[in-house]
Amino acid sequence: MSEQFEPKIVAFVCNWCTYAGADLAGTSRTKYATNVSIIRFPCTGRIDFMLLMKAFENGADGIIVSGCHPNDCHYTSGNFHARRRWIVFRSLLDFMGFDTDRITFSWVSAAEGTKWAGLVNEVTEKIREKGPFTEFKKLDYSILEKIENDVVTE
Amino acid sequence: MTSLQNKVTELFENGTINLLIGFKEAIHKLPVPCFIDNVSQVEQLIFTPSCKGNLSVYLLKTEVKQAKKVGILANVATLRAIVQLVSENQLGDIEKTVITLDAKGELVVFATMDELEAYVQANFPDLSEEDKKLLDQLNAMSRTERWQYWTEQFTACVKCYACRAVCPMCYCSSCTVEGNQPQWIKVSSETTGNLEWHTMRAMHLGGRCINCGECGRICPVGIPVHMLTVKMNQDIEAEFGAKTGFSVKNGYALNSFKPGDKEQFIK
Repeated sequence: MSEQFEPKIVAFVCNWCTYAGADLAGTSRTKYATNVSIIRFPCTGRIDFMLLMKAFENGADGIIVSGCHPNDCHYTSGNFHARRRWIVFRSLLDFMGFDTDRITFSWVSAAEGTKWAGLVNEVTEKIREKGPFTEFKKLDYSILEKIENDVVTE
Repeated sequence: MTSLQNKVTELFENGTINLLIGFKEAIHKLPVPCFIDNVSQVEQLIFTPSCKGNLSVYLLKTEVKQAKKVGILANVATLRAIVQLVSENQLGDIEKTVITLDAKGELVVFATMDELEAYVQANFPDLSEEDKKLLDQLNAMSRTERWQYWTEQFTACVKCYACRAVCPMCYCSSCTVEGNQPQWIKVSSETTGNLEWHTMRAMHLGGRCINCGECGRICPVGIPVHMLTVKMNQDIEAEFGAKTGFSVKNGYALNSFKPGDKEQFIK
């Protein structure tokens, strides 16, 4: 029997809404996939795109980015700024051929423990179907392979 | 002496400028930038439609800023860069005299920033045919084909950072790639690190890049890096209606927001 692939999911969440929502899911004893590692940020506005790139570089197969619903930001406008950045960032990644399905953006409020649990389950299932992010992970090895092949043919 | 050389001599003699950034005779077919600080050097100056370089990048150098009264030869892309730099409050302490060639090949000297801005708006540059073709080609590809294309391009990158050096909008005194605590981007040239560098460069320039295409032109291994920011500018213009280098009152699209910004992908 082949072992089921367990994806590594990294969740970048804001302190005030999604983190509290995830906390609510925990205290309500809602069961959800254990594949997710939550990283807490002060605000979605603080979630730099480079952090997402670094997560992929360090072996993440999928990413969740989540924060307060529009108009609910603790700092009034952090999520609005973040939203603009995500719109262009996602489009840029798509233009470079990066698999944008591996990054899920969401709004989860402090009261939406069930939504959070559902989201994590859904993303885990989606990434499990997609399999490991080898497309990205093999990048640095593909050039070595090329060199090796060249050496062999010579 | 050409009309340009006469004009520049006049500007030096009446004390309007004490440094001119211009072009001199070509080496390997490309006119090279030159810096002129007295009348005796004026003879080497040329200004033809083949002078495609964006000299506004030099306006931000300390040595040039010290000259205070600076003249610059500018094509339309450079004019647009100057408008963008003014909107970002980067040229505050320089008295600049901008000289351009209009469509008929006549010299135009701008007396005020308003004149320059009006000229840019009337002659707003479009993407070159070459860039349009490449953009269509890339947009027509499937996602995996694009991934293949860009990763192959980025594998060739040697991280010389020429794209950064040539860019008038890349003026941070300390760049993220130079920081090493944390080391955001690997120093060595490997595909993932190169991909990160180009993503970061594009993101930091999105909504600020003025599409002069210098970064792609200067790349020693021929990566069309400018396509990334061209694409971002298109998106930003379509989504948020912001045009870079169009007005000195331009805001930065990614530094502002509208509660009604639309997207389809946030669950």
